[in-house]
Amino acid sequence: MKRSLLVLALFAVLAALAPSRAHATPAFARQTGVSCQGCHTVFPELTPFGRKFKLNGYVFTNVKQLEPLSEQGQRTLALSEIPPLSVQLQASNTTLQRSVPDAGATGDLAQRNSTEFPQALSLFYTGKISDNLGAFLQLTWSPPSDSVGIDNSDLRFANHAAFDSIGMPDFIYGLTLNNNPTSQDVWNSTPAWGYPYILPDSAVPPVASTLLDGQLAQESAGLSAYVYLFDHLYLEGGAYRSAQTSFTNATTGGPGPLDSTAPNDRISGVAPYWRLAWEQAWGEHSLEFGTYGIRAETHPTGIGENGPLNVFTDIALDGQYQFITDDHIFSLAGTWIHEHRHFNNVLLATHQNNDLDTERLTASYYFRRRIGGYVQGFSTTGSRDPIMYAMGTPVLGSAKGRPDTQGAIVELDFLPWLNTKLGVQYTIYSKFNGDSKNYDGFGRKASDNNALFVYVWTAF
Amino acid sequence: MRAKILYALVAGSLLAAGTPPAHAADGAALELVRKECSTCHGTRGISVAPTFPHLAAQQAEYLEVQLRAFRDHSRADPHAQAYMWGMAAQLTDPTIKEISKYFSTQPAPVPPQAGAAEIAAGKKIFEEGVPTQSVPPCQSCHMPNAHGNGPFPRLAGQHRQYLEKQLEVFAAGVRANEMMHATAQTLTALQISQLAAFLSSQP
Repeated sequence: MKRSLLVLALFAVLAALAPSRAHATPAFARQTGVSCQGCHTVFPELTPFGRKFKLNGYVFTNVKQLEPLSEQGQRTLALSEIPPLSVQLQASNTTLQRSVPDAGATGDLAQRNSTEFPQALSLFYTGKISDNLGAFLQLTWSPPSDSVGIDNSDLRFANHAAFDSIGMPDFIYGLTLNNNPTSQDVWNSTPAWGYPYILPDSAVPPVASTLLDGQLAQESAGLSAYVYLFDHLYLEGGAYRSAQTSFTNATTGGPGPLDSTAPNDRISGVAPYWRLAWEQAWGEHSLEFGTYGIRAETHPTGIGENGPLNVFTDIALDGQYQFITDDHIFSLAGTWIHEHRHFNNVLLATHQNNDLDTERLTASYYFRRRIGGYVQGFSTTGSRDPIMYAMGTPVLGSAKGRPDTQGAIVELDFLPWLNTKLGVQYTIYSKFNGDSKNYDGFGRKASDNNALFVYVWTAF
Repeated sequence: MRAKILYALVAGSLLAAGTPPAHAADGAALELVRKECSTCHGTRGISVAPTFPHLAAQQAEYLEVQLRAFRDHSRADPHAQAYMWGMAAQLTDPTIKEISKYFSTQPAPVPPQAGAAEIAAGKKIFEEGVPTQSVPPCQSCHMPNAHGNGPFPRLAGQHRQYLEKQLEVFAAGVRANEMMHATAQTLTALQISQLAAFLSSQP
């Protein structure tokens, strides 16, 4: 019974921590007058035009503006007469190969099939705020937490400059304030906007993922500066801080201290983030390769602000290839994230130093943006650590104390309209939390976590 | 130290934001070119993806006519609707004139190579037409060097796929143009391909 409660608690925490997925918005289409296909191959993957639209701060508009002038004749405002609002709805059905063990009346988890309507309901404000200033703001209601929360959000200033005298042609520069490292990225090879774009809430989550892989999503705020030079080279540098935890101070009733029992590790000070990418386009083809990373010193959950810090260093490589025509669209995107974890808190890990590597490679094809799909191979491997990987925990833990999870996702989609996607997705695990058979030490197989996910996803 | 790095980043960005762009004096139309048109057509009117035509060295009058047609929706082929209706919606006549003048004065793209046999076949159609199919010589409107003339566009050096697509939408009547509809609908797919191969390879 106690074990079941532990499973339930862990499941709830992991479900709440699962990175949410933000997406393309019809408000952009309304604002620009450009069809979805201008910015997206098939939403949410961006085309070269979509990448530029984002780098330029979401500001291009064909909507009439409210543009009052000052006495000096300067424009003091550039406000759209129609607010760029839109709505997104996702509904789904998930079937696990084998339900998780029944925990009795308290934690009735033995449900193999579950439906969510909606799986997520979002309200977007996406578009121009003023000259050179735009936003991608998303509020999402999600069932696991039964609450409305902020989703991937990006406030962006962008402009152009050129220094012809030193041979520097027109380039884009900007600032982004966002709440998820890589959500500001314009390629779909990095975690925040990488495949899978939608995931089942009720599937069993693997025990390990890197910090950059959604761990800081909506729990941090980062400011970074970027330039896009020569239409090829993207450089970005910035820093993230943890958001205030949702806990209140019991004594004062004010915002809680950063050493309270927060749901996730909190960044101590600021965590530097960097990104460098090169894009080459020719004809209908475009190719990108790059690197990104973060280094974060963290206050672990339950450890006070003055306690010892853990250090996460993530260094990643990524690449993306796209072939885009009216009839055929083919994409290949991949990333490799290497994480080094240095734990100074001996109660949280057996070993002071651990490594974790995640690789994903995704191929997709669509015919006339109507029918298509994805195939992804994924792998997370790392060093053994009995404490960190929850040895002795059924379903969610690893009997061997290993993080290794490998498998594939196959998805088939049909889009009756450019803003509506009907999908069938199947996730297959060859290894889960360190083993293929009896990975948790309680008889569960990796394949028991295979999940069939059927969904409808629309935005309007 | 970390805080200093952050401040330096922010300060650097704000300083950069205050730097006036080199083309600031070129006016609102050129700002549009740099920020919007260039996204698909390139800053100098030379595009990468063949979905989007080269605009460099195009006839200014032709560009003006097209931009007005996008704005009033009288040019309604699928790509025009998907991309250009939105892009052109707020353009004023003076801006259209300035944008068109800018692109018309840019150096033409360097044409790619094509097969000698298809170039020769395309050249024959361009220069002589196909009398048996009632196709007039293209050069009579588009000029012998295919550089265009006023409302008749430059075709030399244009993307091959773009030229093929336009002949297809003229033939289907989706891009409204009586003269080009009559001409294109009698051309075979092979002839369209040969003609586009020849034109795209011309300087």
